[in-house]
Parts: sequence; structure tokens; C-alpha cells
Amino acid sequence: MTTAPSTILVLPGALGDAGLGPRLGDWDIAIGAAEAECGFALLDDHLGTLRDAGQLLIRDDAALTLLDPERGMLTQDAGRAERFVADLDDGPVKAALGHVPPLRSLLAGASGRLGRRDLAVTDDEGKTRVRARLTTLRPDDGGPALTVAALQGLRGYDGALDRLRDHLQGAADAAPGAWSRMLMPPGEPYVAKPDIPVAEDDPAWRVATDIIATYLDVARRNEDGIIADHDTEFLHDYRVALRKVRSVLSLFRGVYADDATAGLKAAASGLMAPTGRLRDLDVYLLAREDYFAMLPASLHEGLDLMFCALEKDRRAAHRRMARHLRAAPYRTQMTDLQAALAAGPPKGPLADDAVGDYARGLIWKRYRKVCRIARAIDADTPDEQVHALRIACKKLRYLMEFFAPLVPASALKPVLKPLKRLQDNLGLFNDYSVQQDFLRDFMDRQAPSGDRRDLVLAQSIGALIAVLHERQREERARIMENFARFDGPRIRERARSLFHRKEAQG
Amino acid sequence: MKIVACYSNKGGVGKTAASVNLAHAFARAGDKVLLCDLDPQGASGFYFRVKPSQKLQNEAFFEDAKQVAKAIRGSDYDNLDILPANMSFRDFDVFLSQMKNSQSRLKKALKAVGGDYDVIVLDCPPNISMLSENVLKAADLIVVPVIPTTLSERTFEQLLDFVEGQGDGKGGRRKIAGFFSMVQRQKVLHVETMQRMREAHPKRMLDTALPFSTDVERMGVNRAPVREFAPDRPSARAYAGIFDEIRARLHKD
Repeated sequence: MTTAPSTILVLPGALGDAGLGPRLGDWDIAIGAAEAECGFALLDDHLGTLRDAGQLLIRDDAALTLLDPERGMLTQDAGRAERFVADLDDGPVKAALGHVPPLRSLLAGASGRLGRRDLAVTDDEGKTRVRARLTTLRPDDGGPALTVAALQGLRGYDGALDRLRDHLQGAADAAPGAWSRMLMPPGEPYVAKPDIPVAEDDPAWRVATDIIATYLDVARRNEDGIIADHDTEFLHDYRVALRKVRSVLSLFRGVYADDATAGLKAAASGLMAPTGRLRDLDVYLLAREDYFAMLPASLHEGLDLMFCALEKDRRAAHRRMARHLRAAPYRTQMTDLQAALAAGPPKGPLADDAVGDYARGLIWKRYRKVCRIARAIDADTPDEQVHALRIACKKLRYLMEFFAPLVPASALKPVLKPLKRLQDNLGLFNDYSVQQDFLRDFMDRQAPSGDRRDLVLAQSIGALIAVLHERQREERARIMENFARFDGPRIRERARSLFHRKEAQG
Repeated sequence: MKIVACYSNKGGVGKTAASVNLAHAFARAGDKVLLCDLDPQGASGFYFRVKPSQKLQNEAFFEDAKQVAKAIRGSDYDNLDILPANMSFRDFDVFLSQMKNSQSRLKKALKAVGGDYDVIVLDCPPNISMLSENVLKAADLIVVPVIPTTLSERTFEQLLDFVEGQGDGKGGRRKIAGFFSMVQRQKVLHVETMQRMREAHPKRMLDTALPFSTDVERMGVNRAPVREFAPDRPSARAYAGIFDEIRARLHKD
């Protein structure tokens, strides 16, 4: 019987038979015939979630194999080509990939040819003491091969397991790092929220420029994924990054010369503009199941019609977006923008202020604005005010995140937590409102087909709008309660001590 | 967890072969199996190429849960572990009661090393006094190979009487599952004895009989269960039938 988990070794080189056997001390090493080679690809998402977890996922023609630091080697049938973990057949590999963000698709990284062999070590009685399964991966790019050895110890024969491990490590190519290209693609790993170092006395101009340059780079690293349409998170990250760029420009007043700020802001807004339509459609298509759950089955037919139309719209919107990103004007604009940041935009009057005090001033002001708007909200306040609160919260949150390195995380958390909760609440309120507008607009744009489909569609969309309206009302009712949580005396005191500038304001 | 004891008060009836082939069949069916080699000859360990453990010479072996767990050896087959021959059979009933009690130190020690067994097969020594009350109590089923001769018929009935005299009366008899072993259909004596015994103990004898076969003898040369080297032979098919019947009996209650 095997002892779990088996020991997994990832070794450089192909570990040819000649270098492995036929003896291990006074024991025999029997190496089985190599199984027929087949193609393979290594899978991971854009964030490198598996790599960060120490996992290696190999897809070949027949199977998915996962090397997991805790569970050892897991396999299941490959099934059809999958994009998301949720699409995989149920099995041990899928179960071990629960930590992959559900909206992130699995992308093929390094690919090549794969061969497998089994190996067994037997003693003088012919008793098996330890087994190993060797999987050799030869990359297509002609780079060095690597071999994954899954050692399978047998209960009561631990010594043999240790001996075989040493033996295999000794047989591997002694060139560490030579094969890491397959496991660690060149370049920095992608991070959606990079840590940007900020020190108390850094000039505000320097920090603003760093943040903008960093987020422009984050945006650019999503371009290929948007064009290839791997998953919806590429566009989402792209938009968030550009929104952060725009926020820095509008929040850091006086750091750049006014006309420079205006020019950069216009550029950032110009970059955002073409993305809105595709993102909206993504959001609706992702909410498909939610929508079907909102309505009784008798109204599902209309939803089917609507989603069919939305999918068609999305295909067109994606084509436009991909064309836009591929086109020379966009490339030039982005390159120019990055060059302008690298050179450093012209300084404004506050450019050389120490960022610590400058940031606290900004956050304090923004914090008070959030409180001012929120305290004025009651049951009769028009929705516009609620939207204004949402935007103000967003800006406050960005500021706090940009300058998080200046305050201890433990001090910031009690302020951030209720703020996040309030933001989720405001976000849902806004989503329901936007969705109703979208559906009305969708109805207006539908050319009548002249048959009963018009009625079916109108019924379903009418019902959806009614449900969304009700949900919006429920969210609205929670806003005051969530703000009260954020506006408690302890958090007020905390915000004051963190962000209120002590010296007299002149 | 179920305990299946293979027992015979005569030597050379195929008891160890039955233990080995049944344990292997349980493991193939997906159960996690521990085969305890309690016969001083250590034959079932030999069939699995496991060397007798030096540790097991110790008198108080079964009292030390960690020692027991350490002595267990993985066989070459998935789901099947062996506890090699133990020369001293002293505290074996302690071991059995510990195996039955999920809170015992032994069960915890086994669980800690992933030895949470579904089925324990005991290859018992051929001595009725050794088959203590505790073994009888602990076993869910006692598998008895019977060569269909007049002499075997008598010893089988002695065993039934002995089991009935132990503790829980009639219940004990119900645990006995005899099967005809080394059957030679050309021998009139065999055929008549089988017929007579089936009539006398309709519920105690399994339907499947194991024919006399050199394949079972060849287990000693191949050192493997019959199914591994002669899967299509009559004896392999007979063991499969015996296994099916035993499994059905185990899961009847």
C-alpha cells in the first residue's frame, strides 16, 4: 500500500535509463518501457496563482496532472479543453484548484513533448521497496528538459524511499536554474495591485509619478489578454489601472503644472472611453445565472432571447476593442504617455512637498467630504447624492491604498473594513440602478421582429426591471446603517489620529 | 471495520492460500486491508516476499501500539498491508479488541500513519486452543477450508461445537463460513462428503468449492496471489467466487 502523499521531485534533465540503473546498492532498479510520448502544456492563470501556491499543472492529450506540495501528484482525465477551473470535470485535480479565482482562465504556458516511465526498486526477495513514476518534459523551444519524479513509498520501507530520492537527485543534471525557464517565464510576474514603496519624506511629485507609471504598466500588461479574450478579468484590471491613474491626477492637485495635469487626465479619460461598452456587456453576461434565478421559469424564454442578443453585441464590442488596442494610434498614445511619465511631467507648486504630510492632508479632506455627503443622506435624498457618495468613497479608498505604506496596516484596517462594506453596498446600489438603465436602453434599441418574440422579450425585461428596482431599494435602505458603522466615534478618532495634520494649517 | 479470520485445526488444507487470495481480493475491490500473519510458519508473509520482522520476537509486542504500527509492511499491491509473522501469540486478543475499539491507542497510532483499515484478515495458527474466545468474539467471519473427507467432516463439526460453547452460543456458529478445498470431483468420497455436509450444515458451507490445483501450489514458486499469475485458471475463478460470497455475508448485517 502506498503512503500518502508521495514525494515529488522536480529534477533538471531527462534522467536517461543509463544513468539510473541497474542497481541501487544491493537492490535492483527495474525501469519500465517508456510510454508513447505526447504533447503537453503547462497551465496557470495570468496571476500565476498556481506558481505562487507551489503547484504545477500539466495538461497532456489524455490527462491533467497536478503536482501539489501538500497532496503530491494528482491526475484526472483531461476532458474537453477547459478555460476555467469550474469547467473541469469533477476530480482530485479540480478539487485542489479551488483557490484559483473563478473568473480567471487557465492559460497554456510552456509546451512540448512528454514521456512517462515507471521504476521499481526490489530487494533480494524480489519484494518491491519503493516505486517512482518519472515524467520527462521536453520543451518545444529546445530548452533543457526536466523530469518530475513521483516517489511512492511502501509502508514500513522508509529507508528505501530516502535512498531512491538521493539516487535520483544524484542522477539529475547538476545545473540548477538551467531549466527554470519552463517553470518561471522570463519577466516580472503580473501583479494587479503592485506594492509601490512610499516613504514619509519622498517628494509628492516623485510618488505620484511612480504610481501613475506603475499603473500604466499594469494596464499594458493586460492588452494581449484582452485581445485574445482569455477571460473578462483582463479588461477589468485594465480599467481599474487606468481609473487609478486618473484618480491620482485628479487627487494630487498642485503636484504637476495645471496644463500638464489636464493633458494627462484627458489622455487617461480617452483611454477609458472605448472600454465601457465591453465591460458592461461582460458584467451582464457574468450575471446570467443570477438573472435567470430572479425570474420564474415562465419568463426564461425572454431572457434567452436577451442574452443571445447580448452575446452578439459582446462579440462586436470585443472585435472593436481588440482592433482599437492593436491599432497604431493607441500604441503610439500609450508609448508617448509612458515616455512622458518617464521623463517626468512639469512640476506644480506642491511638487516638492514631503508626501507624508501631503497625503494625510488629502485623505483627511476626502474623509471629511465622505462624512459630509453621507451625514446629509436620509430616506428622501435623491439618488444623485448617493452616487456622489460612492465616487467620494472610491477616491478615499484609492488614496488610503496608495499611501498604505505610510501607516501601520493594523492601524488602517479598522478604518478600511467598514469603508469596504459601505462601498460594496454603494456598489450594488449603483449596479442595480445602472442595470435598469441598461435594460431600458436595450429595449429601446431592439428593432421589433413583428412576431410574439417582441412580447416575450418585453415581459421578461419588464419583470427584471421590477426585481432590480426592488433590490435597489433594499440596498438603499442599508446605506445609512453601513455609514453609521463607518462613522462611529472610534473610527472617527482613528481617522483623525492617522490623517489629521497636527501642525496649524496655514 | 470487519475482521475475517481464516482458521483450520488441520494443517495443509489451504488456509494460508485462502488468507492471501482473500486479502488480495478485498484490496482489489477497493477495501484497505491488513493481513495479519499469525501462523508461526510465516507463510502468508512469505507469499508477499515480506521478511519476518525482528521486532516481533518481543513478548509484549501487541501491547505497544507504536511497535505494531511500525512493524506493518506495504505489500506490492495497492490497499494491502501485511503484519508479518509473530512468534509469540500472547497478547493477540488484546490487539484484536484494540482494533475493534476506535478510541484505542492502537487505532489512533494506525490512523496517524494512514492505516485505517476496512478489513483485517487473520491467518490463524492451526491450534484450537489458540483460537481464544476473544478471537472468536472479535471476528465477524471465520473462514474454514474443508477437504471433503470423513476426517475433515468430524473436525469441522468439532469446531462448530467448540464455537457454540464459547460465550454467545448460537451466534458463534453463524460466523463460520466453510468452503470445500482441494476438491477432486473424480473421487466418489469427495462428492459424497460434500453432499452430506451441505445437507447437514446448509448455511455453514459456501456454494463455491476450490478444485485441487497445481496453481495454488505454484503460489510458493511465484510468491504472489493466484490472480496475479493465473487469473483465468479455475482456482483463481474459485477464489473470486469464494470472495464474493464472503463479502456478501460480511455486509449482510
